[in-house]
Amino acid sequence: MEKTEFITLVMPFKDKLYRLAKRILVSKDEAEDAVQEVFLKLWKGKQNIANYKNPEAFAITMTKNYCLDRLKSKQASNLKIVHSNYQTSENVEKNIEANDGVAMVFRIMETLPEQQRIVLQLRDVEQFEFSEIAKILESNETAVRVALSRARKTVRDAMIKNYNYGIG
Amino acid sequence: MELGKIKQLLDAYFEGNTSLADEKILKDYFNNETVAEELLQYQPIFMGLKAAKAEQSTRVFSLGEPETKTIKGWWYSVAAALVVAFGIGTLYFTQPQYTQEEKEALAAFEKSKEAMLLLSENLNKGAERLTFVEQFETSKDKVFE
Repeated sequence: MEKTEFITLVMPFKDKLYRLAKRILVSKDEAEDAVQEVFLKLWKGKQNIANYKNPEAFAITMTKNYCLDRLKSKQASNLKIVHSNYQTSENVEKNIEANDGVAMVFRIMETLPEQQRIVLQLRDVEQFEFSEIAKILESNETAVRVALSRARKTVRDAMIKNYNYGIG
Repeated sequence: MELGKIKQLLDAYFEGNTSLADEKILKDYFNNETVAEELLQYQPIFMGLKAAKAEQSTRVFSLGEPETKTIKGWWYSVAAALVVAFGIGTLYFTQPQYTQEEKEALAAFEKSKEAMLLLSENLNKGAERLTFVEQFETSKDKVFE
């Protein structure tokens, strides 16, 4: 496979990979590093990617696994302080670019368990079918629906609480 | 979009029972239409989900290094294998090759050469002794002159 061919194959879902990485890792820099790493891995295994029916789903699975690994090793080492620093700077950014309610939604999403965060991202942001999400997560549709419902309800409940405080 | 339908879709949405088409209706409603006051609390959720999709990275992702690295490494091993094969090959082909018959002939030749050497050595020993005979001749000439 030629480089240009590979790039035209992979570039269309570059932003999807980045958004998923950022949803999991929160930090913009780390998400970009993750996407770069995934691209290199895909390029190294480029003979295989052509054999996959759905290169996009394959790349998303790879990104998810890579980010979860990163998260695990980060929690294992003592980088938590750096991580929370990132979070605050990211939140300042969000407050500037969107209204408070939307910023709140992003903040709540950051508190969700990883699997729920990933499901919410793939379904409600990227609009994948349940069957596709199940394949990407190596899970089944029922489990995906349950995780999604939980994630949506957590966001809803936190928002309603916040909204009522705002009114009262 | 009528309010009753939206409420119904919202309930199904939180249970995880909406289709992608249903979810698009909800997203459009909360992002583009005048939202009923009783549903205002849900608006930021759908605005946030829409905003989340607009996010992009400006970084340029490169595929530079590994390609050249792997190709170079591959060529090095091929080149090394060729050199070794060439060396062994030349060593093998420059060695003289004898058939069984030739080998036997060669062995016979060596043996006969050895035998001839032995013979000539002994012959030389005999020739040395001949000098005494010569001496005897000269002495005899002196006496019987």
